[in-house]
Amino acid sequence: MNTVLSRANSLFAFSLSVMAALTFGCFITTAFKDRSIPVDIHVSKVMLKNVDDFTGPRERSDLGFLTFDLSADLRPIFDWNVKQLFLYLSAEYATRNNALNQVVLWDKIVLRGENTKLNLRETKSKYFFFDDGNGLRSNKNITLTLSWNVVPNAGILPLVMGSGHISLPFPDAYESTKSY
Amino acid sequence: MLSIFKTIPTHMDYKGQKLAEQIFQGIILVSAVIGFLYGFIIEQFGWTVYIVLAGFAVSCLLTLPPWPMYRKTPLSWQPALPESSGDSREKPPQENLKKKKHK
Repeated sequence: MNTVLSRANSLFAFSLSVMAALTFGCFITTAFKDRSIPVDIHVSKVMLKNVDDFTGPRERSDLGFLTFDLSADLRPIFDWNVKQLFLYLSAEYATRNNALNQVVLWDKIVLRGENTKLNLRETKSKYFFFDDGNGLRSNKNITLTLSWNVVPNAGILPLVMGSGHISLPFPDAYESTKSY
Repeated sequence: MLSIFKTIPTHMDYKGQKLAEQIFQGIILVSAVIGFLYGFIIEQFGWTVYIVLAGFAVSCLLTLPPWPMYRKTPLSWQPALPESSGDSREKPPQENLKKKKHK
């Protein structure tokens, strides 16, 4: 404490310790919060095709096309420990080969300060809904769920599932049109 | 080049060092509490950081330069003893005793 440098050193170290304590406080005030909100998913159109999957097995695989509506108010998720949300819509279903298949159909990043009202109408999926075989045809229980990662300023990275999912049956026959 | 900086007197006396430490700890803790509450209320952690940084800047201004208020009680050193070659053997222990507290 006798010279400028030693005073600067202890001042800086003390400020950093205080900042670390504040960051921990920021984490602990939001650590036990429930970040689940109701989500409204509605599927208006389902189409099923049987096409060549050039990335997978060398045979024709099932490819689904969904048109969905999605609405949720994300405002309650945001607080001072949230930088962004990574939302994704995933389909889960069981086939003969696999007890659980998960396919991400659509995703979106919502930054802090952006519009928190999610309201999609007649949206097509962003990624291909490919099965690795023929498990989509006449599958009666395909569940769509919206989940999100909460990206925090400090602390853990929670993975939250929205309450409100929809189960839908897939058609028994393939569409034969070649337009996709 | 460093010798130029070393000629600038920056020391504080012992009471002044204690006062400087108490001042910067107080300022930073108060700004931390204010920043935490403000950031919590407006839900912006960035403002908490800014307020603590402001407290850091203010306490830098107040405690880094050796302001006169930190030099009010200078140490009263004994007058230098006349140097004599005979008793130079006895002097070092006495000097060490005096400089022990010197940080």
